[in-house]
Amino acid sequence: MKTNIAKSIYQAWLFMAAFLVCVPVYAGIHIESWQTKNGAKVMYVQSAQLPMLDIEMTFDAGSARDGNDWGLASMTSTLLGTTTSKLNENAISETFNNIGAQIGSGVTRDSASISLRTLTRPEIMKTALTNFETLVSDSQFSQSIFDREMQRLKIGLKQKSVKPQVIASDTLWKTLYGEHPYAHPTSGTLEAAEKINLDKVKAFYKKYYVASNALISIVGNVDKKQAQQIAEQLTQNLAQGQKPNDLLPPKKLAKHEKIKIDFDSTQTYYSLAQLGIERGNPDYVALFVGNHILGGSGFGSLLMEEVREKRGLVYSVYSYFAPQKVTGPFVIGLSTKNASALEADKVVRDTLNGFLKGFSDEKLQAIKDNLIGGFPLRSDSNAKILGYISMIGFYGLPLDYLDWFPKQIENVTKQDILAAWHKHIKPAEMLNIMVGKPQ
Amino acid sequence: MTSVTKISKSIVAAVMLSVVSLPSLAKVTEYTLNNQMKVLVKEDHRSPVVVHQVWYRVGSNYEYSGKTGISHMLEHMMFKGTKTLEPGEFSKIVAKMGGQENAFTSSDYTAYYQVVGRKHLADVMRLEADRMRNIVLTDEEFLKERQVVTEERRWRTEDKPTGKLYEQFKATAFMNSPAHHPVIGWMPDIQSWTAEDARNWYKRWYAPNNATLVVVGDVKPQDVYQLAKKYYGKIKPEKLIQPTPQTEIPQEGPRRIVLKGATKTPSILMGFHAPTLVTAKNKEQRKEVFALEVLSSILDGDDSARLTKELVRKQQVVASVGAGYDATDRLMTLFLFQATPSEGITPEKTEQAIWKEIEKLQTKLVSQQELDRVLAQTEAQYVYHQDSIQSQATVLGSLVSVGLPADTLDKWVDELRTVTPEDLRAVAKKYLQKDKVTVATLLPNGKKIKRKSGAGMHMGDIH
Repeated sequence: MKTNIAKSIYQAWLFMAAFLVCVPVYAGIHIESWQTKNGAKVMYVQSAQLPMLDIEMTFDAGSARDGNDWGLASMTSTLLGTTTSKLNENAISETFNNIGAQIGSGVTRDSASISLRTLTRPEIMKTALTNFETLVSDSQFSQSIFDREMQRLKIGLKQKSVKPQVIASDTLWKTLYGEHPYAHPTSGTLEAAEKINLDKVKAFYKKYYVASNALISIVGNVDKKQAQQIAEQLTQNLAQGQKPNDLLPPKKLAKHEKIKIDFDSTQTYYSLAQLGIERGNPDYVALFVGNHILGGSGFGSLLMEEVREKRGLVYSVYSYFAPQKVTGPFVIGLSTKNASALEADKVVRDTLNGFLKGFSDEKLQAIKDNLIGGFPLRSDSNAKILGYISMIGFYGLPLDYLDWFPKQIENVTKQDILAAWHKHIKPAEMLNIMVGKPQ
Repeated sequence: MTSVTKISKSIVAAVMLSVVSLPSLAKVTEYTLNNQMKVLVKEDHRSPVVVHQVWYRVGSNYEYSGKTGISHMLEHMMFKGTKTLEPGEFSKIVAKMGGQENAFTSSDYTAYYQVVGRKHLADVMRLEADRMRNIVLTDEEFLKERQVVTEERRWRTEDKPTGKLYEQFKATAFMNSPAHHPVIGWMPDIQSWTAEDARNWYKRWYAPNNATLVVVGDVKPQDVYQLAKKYYGKIKPEKLIQPTPQTEIPQEGPRRIVLKGATKTPSILMGFHAPTLVTAKNKEQRKEVFALEVLSSILDGDDSARLTKELVRKQQVVASVGAGYDATDRLMTLFLFQATPSEGITPEKTEQAIWKEIEKLQTKLVSQQELDRVLAQTEAQYVYHQDSIQSQATVLGSLVSVGLPADTLDKWVDELRTVTPEDLRAVAKKYLQKDKVTVATLLPNGKKIKRKSGAGMHMGDIH
């Protein structure tokens, strides 16, 4: 079922998920990086086996930049490239579709991105790049398309209010982040939507879609010289502009809270959460490996073993850190029939507490084997490589991050893991949300 | 297991839609073992990685009333140990290799896969061959896992009105065909399965002569063949008793249902019985299938396609709209439309707008430009699809599991190229008829969502 809002929600989640599985690419992926003449950052990996090219342009223009106009970043991204000074909406989509090129876009709390996938047959690639360039640098915003997309957005937002898992997630962010710009949903709210207008979209575009704020990630069948030309071409008509100010970190929750939202569903949608860490935090490796033991590795993890395999209470239970520009959340989540919600809650808490007391050396070694042995799988397609270099570029991680990370995993000890978890995770202070009719 | 049940076959459908035919970059090598197990190998040397899949030709379309969903349940039980492995041990071994593994069930097949570094191929083959015949299915593990599946059903369907709508829509469109039943099964059936049901299903269908091995990745076909002979080749074939045809009876008039659910906005599904490459009995019917495939792209292949261009952008009667058709289903399928009306637009008006688009296809010829776009998209997507070894393997496995040749995808674009505007008009007239439609409408049930204002109320003691 295609609804716009579902798409943007999933995109946000997928983006997080991409970080979660952000286990290093195996050595051998050669990443190069440079700046274009007007200050955009470029990340590039050559991959010549298939006659295709993937490009993603990422801007620090996510919903954290909404200000008081919640949903503005998302609406700007929706409208980006729908019209240019030369082409109308239908002409633009036909230009790409006629040559089998694909355009995508998405917004998360931290970033907005627009991507192109095209064949590298010269005449096709040339058409694709020429037009892709104008979507970003010559985007025009029409009132009629704005009105239409606003109507579609409102329908999506109305639908969200009857989805228990979305209610749980929105409540989680709102409560954990309070006044922080991460607190509101990426797609905004029905009330906030009324305040967004075309002028605000235009101003947002002008301020944030600029070269100094841009990252261009390129993977595919082009050599470095071509990649350099492409990067220059894509940014030549962008204003240089400025990088926005850094976000401030959120304040810790004052006390633990339990929030119950009564909802007419067969399952209770449950989360246990607190603030986690920002990307680049020195404790990340220890937290990441520990999380794989706790709930981040599917069937190998303690939560799955206790909640699903031993007791049959859930289909899915998981935990993750979602490190962002500034402190992202740590979340444990599940859904279970209302009658077993309280039992599941107890099992989750017992499992977390047990994990914090320690785990076997075998378990740690098994997880290390899994993470390190699994590296080649995580870079076996252009799409996956693009995800990694875009993440590394956007968060300013070192270029050798993908070689460095597995070495850190190898070296991390049980003591390191427990120390990091005790430093960051406080079970008694965590936020608990239940949507449903928990018993 | 995490068993991704493909209730709507979305994964394969998505891949299949993207399927095309430039000259394939790598050929598929096919073998048949002495026990009639099929083996397909495709080389892809971009990474030192291999995907290993075993496909069984069994799924919900092989099931009968009262036992629906048992194929999917059995898939879950396949991770619960064998004569030599503890429950969950299979997954732990693969995890230690750094591998990823899972399984999925659809209407026509059940598939198991591992993605591992190439040096582990023999190990996963040994494990998978072991559980083809040797699982230990205890009552205790079965009852626990049955609970997991009820949770899975609640999560997938019970709390999702659009999921329920699709289920009831299919049950209305198909009266006697097993396509009537959801892949995951009806809740009362799930709650009454026994371990013996799963054991019987396992004995009946999990045999080498009902299975296909697919390996894609950094391998040599001959090496894979030798390994396959060693591990799978020694397993004895079974006498397979296929289900009766249960061919769907003809539809003789429109069918309509309404579901009232926890939704704020209505939505509609419309469907028409349609043939597939598998059900096509002759060359003419095959041609119709490719015409229907092109027709679905003309309507909804991309954002230049008619439904988006006309109904979303121009008339603005829908917030979202789509069309779909799976040409590779084993049994008769549906040509589908789905729409969410715009604010203030009724489901009836939305349906009328879709009928208008159908009438255009029945009376006016599609332009060459539109046809060319579909072909260009198909060709490009054929290349893109090769970026993922898993998607390549999944396409091969699903095709062969429904009885189609492994190179079906490689010939796809050439087949589509033969479709003419006249063919499109003809299939639109023949299949998209007013008397042949099933319409399902989801309406808000009008219940207030009970919710205190603000972030919700604070709960007392819950422990």
